[in-house]
Amino acid sequence: MSLQDWLKNRWLIEHQTSRQEISDLLSMADRDLAQCRTPHLSPDWQLNIAYNAALQAATAALAAAGYRAARDAHHYRVIQSLAHTIEADPALILQLDKFRKKRNITEYEQAGAVSEQEAIEMFALAKNLRDEVEKWLRSNHPELL
Amino acid sequence: MSTLSDTDNLSRTLFGKTRRAVLSLLYSQVDDAFYLRQIVRAAGVGLGAVQRELKQLSDAGIIQRIVRGRQVYYQANPQCPVFAELKALVMKTVGIAAVIQAALAPLADRIRIAAIYGSIARSEEYRGSDVDLLIVGEATFAEIVSALHQAQSTINREINPTVYPPAEFRSKVAAGHHFLNAVLKEPVLFLVGDKRELARLAKKPLAH
Repeated sequence: MSLQDWLKNRWLIEHQTSRQEISDLLSMADRDLAQCRTPHLSPDWQLNIAYNAALQAATAALAAAGYRAARDAHHYRVIQSLAHTIEADPALILQLDKFRKKRNITEYEQAGAVSEQEAIEMFALAKNLRDEVEKWLRSNHPELL
Repeated sequence: MSTLSDTDNLSRTLFGKTRRAVLSLLYSQVDDAFYLRQIVRAAGVGLGAVQRELKQLSDAGIIQRIVRGRQVYYQANPQCPVFAELKALVMKTVGIAAVIQAALAPLADRIRIAAIYGSIARSEEYRGSDVDLLIVGEATFAEIVSALHQAQSTINREINPTVYPPAEFRSKVAAGHHFLNAVLKEPVLFLVGDKRELARLAKKPLAH
């Protein structure tokens, strides 16, 4: 299924982005990547912040492709759209989606079910994704950078 | 440590092919009723053999035969005196636990403990309950997630792993970490390692 099909399913909404918006989204990702390394943060909070950075980067790619995700299952769609925008590795999408799930679980059911190791992995994933999105923008939408 | 071939061999020895297939379907999804054609398809054996098996199991009260209108369904029988034991047996030999254990096998040398905790370990799960999985080992979250991906569709449940390297596990338990200490007090179902290994990992002092 293409993003066009997603649009027909009302999973996406057409969206006109701008250099300013892309720059804001990438700056937010950078801010979160910096802040999640603040000393003495709990692993679940670190994971949360790094996850947010990854989501901003994925949102930037989707915006550059001309869409934003509908409210329903918003995070899930933004994550899955990476297969169509930057053609992300399926393993990365799988992992990011599991972090999404973990974030929900720790918020609603099991506080503290995040290890330091997992927070470090989430950070590495977000950093890598943010760089990949910028690389992709440079080759596919240079006018937005 | 038990391996997949051990558990596979267990169920093959305990049950004949058809019985194993029927019990593994009905006793791994005890909340669902199945009609004959579904059971035949899942079992991968002939219609006649499945029908004979269903009759024997129903006559013995191990499964129930339910008639709704013109359809006949079969379901695990919660009134059966060994319902809980059969459910656990199926889970350990061909069900959720066996599937996850097999999926983790390629990473086995870097996993010290893999244990199911939460509603499934307490036998309080409902249809579609997620599987909560605690892993202690050198394997990464990314590796565990990739390894478990297929298993999720096989067992038709989402698997939520929490992965601790041994040193972090030890220091968190020692510091009275709420989540880990709560899990350690609950019943868990070991897929890799056992209670002794878990206790050893939790207490072992850091090497100098």
